Amino acid sequence: MSGARDYHEEEALGKAYDARLMRRLLTYMRPYRELTAGAILFILLAAAAQISLASITKWGIDSYIKAGRADGFHAVALVYLAAVCGILFFSWGQIMTTVRLGQKVQHDLRMQVFEHLQRLHLRYFDRNPVGRLVTRVTNDVNTLNELFGTAVVAVIGDLFMILLIVVYMLYLNWQLALITFLVVPVLVGATFVFRARAREAYRQVRLKLARINAFVQEHVTGMAVVQLFTQEERAYREFGAINLDLQGAHLRSVIYYALFYPAVEIIGAVSLALVLYFGGVRIIGGAMTFGELTAFIWLVERFYQPIRDLSEKYNVLQSSMASSERIFRLLDTAPEISDPPRPRAIAAFRGRIEVENLWFAYEDEDWVLRDLTFSVEPGERVAVVGATGAGKTSLVNVLFRFYDYQKGSIRLDGVEIRDLALRELRSHLGLVLQDVFLFSGDYAGNVRLRNEGIGDEQVRQALSRVGFDRFLKHLPDGIRTEVKERGATLSTGQKQLLSFARALAFDPGILILDEATSSVDTETEHLIQQALEELLAGRTSIVIAHRLSTIEKADKILVLHHGRLREMGRHEELLSRGGIYRTLYEMQYRRTAAAPVNRQAAAK
Amino acid sequence: MNTTATQANTPPRQLATVTKYFRTYRWYFLAGLAVTVLSSGLMMYTPRLVGQIIDGLEQGRGAGYAGRRVLILVGLTAASGVFMFLMRRTVIWASRYIETDLRGEMFSHLLRLTPSYYHGTRTGDVMAAMTNDLEAIRMMAGPGVMYTADAAVSLLIGLVMMLTISPSLTLWALLPLLVLPFGVHRIGSVIHKRNAKIQDHFGVLTAAAQENLAGMRVVKAYGQEEREIENFRAVSETYIGLNISLAKVQGIFAPLMRLIAALSYLTVFYMGGLRVINGTETLGTVITFFGYLALMTWPVIAIGWVVSLYQRGLASLARVNRLLHTEPEVPEGGGRAAAGPMAGRIECRNLRFSYNGRPVLDGVNLMIEPGQTVGLLGLTGSGKTTLVNLIARLHPVERGMLFIDGVDVNDWPLRELRRQIGFATQEPFLFSDSIAANIRFGRPEAGLAAVQQAARIAALDKDVAEFPQGYETMVGERGITLSGGQKQRTAIARAIVVDPRIIILDDATSAVDTETEHEISQRIKEVLTARTAIVISHRVSSVKDADQIVCFDDGRIIERGDHEALMARNGFYAQLYRSQLLEKELEAL
Repeated sequence: MSGARDYHEEEALGKAYDARLMRRLLTYMRPYRELTAGAILFILLAAAAQISLASITKWGIDSYIKAGRADGFHAVALVYLAAVCGILFFSWGQIMTTVRLGQKVQHDLRMQVFEHLQRLHLRYFDRNPVGRLVTRVTNDVNTLNELFGTAVVAVIGDLFMILLIVVYMLYLNWQLALITFLVVPVLVGATFVFRARAREAYRQVRLKLARINAFVQEHVTGMAVVQLFTQEERAYREFGAINLDLQGAHLRSVIYYALFYPAVEIIGAVSLALVLYFGGVRIIGGAMTFGELTAFIWLVERFYQPIRDLSEKYNVLQSSMASSERIFRLLDTAPEISDPPRPRAIAAFRGRIEVENLWFAYEDEDWVLRDLTFSVEPGERVAVVGATGAGKTSLVNVLFRFYDYQKGSIRLDGVEIRDLALRELRSHLGLVLQDVFLFSGDYAGNVRLRNEGIGDEQVRQALSRVGFDRFLKHLPDGIRTEVKERGATLSTGQKQLLSFARALAFDPGILILDEATSSVDTETEHLIQQALEELLAGRTSIVIAHRLSTIEKADKILVLHHGRLREMGRHEELLSRGGIYRTLYEMQYRRTAAAPVNRQAAAK
Repeated sequence: MNTTATQANTPPRQLATVTKYFRTYRWYFLAGLAVTVLSSGLMMYTPRLVGQIIDGLEQGRGAGYAGRRVLILVGLTAASGVFMFLMRRTVIWASRYIETDLRGEMFSHLLRLTPSYYHGTRTGDVMAAMTNDLEAIRMMAGPGVMYTADAAVSLLIGLVMMLTISPSLTLWALLPLLVLPFGVHRIGSVIHKRNAKIQDHFGVLTAAAQENLAGMRVVKAYGQEEREIENFRAVSETYIGLNISLAKVQGIFAPLMRLIAALSYLTVFYMGGLRVINGTETLGTVITFFGYLALMTWPVIAIGWVVSLYQRGLASLARVNRLLHTEPEVPEGGGRAAAGPMAGRIECRNLRFSYNGRPVLDGVNLMIEPGQTVGLLGLTGSGKTTLVNLIARLHPVERGMLFIDGVDVNDWPLRELRRQIGFATQEPFLFSDSIAANIRFGRPEAGLAAVQQAARIAALDKDVAEFPQGYETMVGERGITLSGGQKQRTAIARAIVVDPRIIILDDATSAVDTETEHEISQRIKEVLTARTAIVISHRVSSVKDADQIVCFDDGRIIERGDHEALMARNGFYAQLYRSQLLEKELEAL
């Protein structure tokens, strides 16, 4: 199964019932009042039809079998058949309605969580591993399905069933009923004691299962370390201990079941014995009929089922509380970055960016951007250079408002970007990242993403403009070919070209590009340079540059160093100044220019 | 590989995995069978008692007659209950024993499998074999066996009892019931298929969420949130659609079973009733039959259920066997005559190695003398890491290419070889255990003093002093999150503790600053005197002082010599050196 499972995330079970959580959960059923009512109606009818079988049996025995009347006896059989069909129909209806109800609520809840995640800020994703968030959307929602899909309705059904049995027994013969009820406390007590014990045993089993799974997962992941340090035997010993521990927990829980089932049988036998003996005495005394006795036997046998069902619902309730608490915590996290209450709009887009005294930190006062001031004119090509950690990527993050800056301002065509709707801001900007993220699906889908407004023709054009058509030729289904394993089989260069095509297809007013550093072969390098030209031509752009050619062609170079803008100007200008830029140039760019030559020399 | 695959397909070899355990626990199963017969046999007599009581009442016998039978009824049920308890206590316990043993067998096999297996296999698949598949096999060996025995015994005894009372009524009673096992099995397999489909789609749903969340930056940058929501809605709707389609079958399944059981009841009621009316049977017989139907419905259903259990168990067994029948790629080795201490001389003679048909090392000749420190430089993918992995035989090495102390590396017993090597890598794997446990991982008996000393050498001691519980601080999932540099230094300490003859640092200080790195290498030299050291790095400063510096490109050595010699050569090394010097200057600006 895809998606890593987190065996470490222990299934912490809290309270079984939390009124506040429960009330909030039940609000999700509100839109489906009719469905809920239908489900309850079905379950009540099914219970009633069940009980009617006892009454039909009584009728047949007393009025026909014992009376020796054969004519009309087939009518009893037909009524019985009708009741049985009724049970079939009502039970089926009940299952269909409750499942539908559960699924609808599950879908709503899942969409709510997913939609909320779309609105959350990136900092939230930095703090919460993707795997855990996926669990919220998938497993946690599924757990609640059980609550809505069966538990809520079934509890009503079980209680009704018990009520019907009790009432009918009392109606048939109240004295015998009371005698029979003597066993009920024992039965209920045994069931709930067993449930409590079994639940605890089961919790132990789950805890130990989680432990052994975490152990195995960890050792499978770190197998090379175990083997390099020759700790196989110790690992096996430790595993053996946990394994035995788990076995012990299993064996204990088996004992509870092994004791419980015979106990129920014996309690059942005792109640049957009571009915037979005291019923028999009444028959002898003429106070009771054979039909009534048979009905009693039938009812006594059906008493246990709803009691057991009820005790099982406790587990469902408990896991629902834990899941819903996690889900609600996510839903209650407010997005830190959202649209302003009254967004302003850019009247006529030109693409001028002004950054003024900009300060930004991810945490507290650890400034990664310090007092930046610069502007980008429409149509200008700006290169940003600097060593690792200079703040280049952070600049991209604040321009897109992935994170909010603390001081200073960024204006797009004169409007502070915080006053723009996020959609509007991002619709003017295009982003090409160093690590290209590809989605599963076909090539076309990776260019247009989910924007159906970009047609196949536009996709093809974009791909051909970046020179990807030469690869496309070899694909069996052209742009409809699936990208395997999210691009794992594609070369770095191909992935970059794809992301260029994506940016071209969206045709943003301003392009922000984080050039990839990884080395590619000379041919691909050539392709990428051409594609880059195609992408940047006539477009306002900010490029975090790693290629000398890109920098040389820039209208303006910003040199960032430890978060500050230290130098600004054109290539020759900065080079002759002999500052940081010059050092950077000698360190990186001259080397990349020289590397292939050196490689050839080395191969000799 | 092919031969093992065909062998694995023959049924006896498939079953051998579990049959050996059945043999081990045969007494449990035999005892289980015996108590099953007793339990069912006693239970199957109770409906007769009820019938006798009813008939007794009709014939006007007194309350004492009923009272005696009622006591026998409770007694029989109690005795049967004891055996029923023993039935679970033997068979289900034995199945848990088998589960434990098989899990142990699987894990011990995992410990022998080589990195190539783990590269080609997702952790999730291994986990699935050790959880779901193991449970399916357990269900087959435990409840599967128990319910088979129970159903066979109950049905046989019940049938005999019913036939002795009324053969024709028996026929009528069992007619509808006969449909049950087929129905259970048939609908059961449809349910299983739809369930599998739901599981698959759950995977799709998980992947959709996973992808969206992992690609959140792209989603936001391109303003795709609304469209992502619509896409996910479609996936989620398909998911609930599949669930509802399962409910359609499942929803009819249980009620239908009940309907069939009720039809049996009805037949007995109607046909039996008519016989009572015309005097050929007694009411007691009809009630007795009711009792038998109640006792026999579950065993009949169990037959269908058990068939599904076996099917699933066998499918899981095949997957477990695929794991157990995979042989490790690197043999244990051995054959080296004298087992004296290792000196640490490493020699590569025209060493070649290919991975997935691509040459990674292409004729490497290298001699490392005992006690030498060797630096390996080169771009990513140039073959440095592969070389050190081959020294530890993480991958199979052809004979005659790699020698340690003049002995072919294949002739060293694997354990002994690895015990002499201390290995630290760039992205080290730490266990979610305490710092101390991680450091002494390779030498569990090491005392706190040894741990502290190793931590000092690895320049980790100051960090540990600031941790909440010092060396007992937990790391990983349940403890603190270490920085990349701290992880690397922990791994170095872990390698030092084992007091190796050969220490290998595979870019093990990339996240540690240059000065600390220098300190670490100085201290390693002081403590581990006369040990062979291999240092892989991207930084010239880490290898500058090495006795021998070797530069790799594309699986070949392109330059070698000490610092002076390589600087004089003015090639790859010299250029790298100068550029990193500039980098240092820049940092200072």
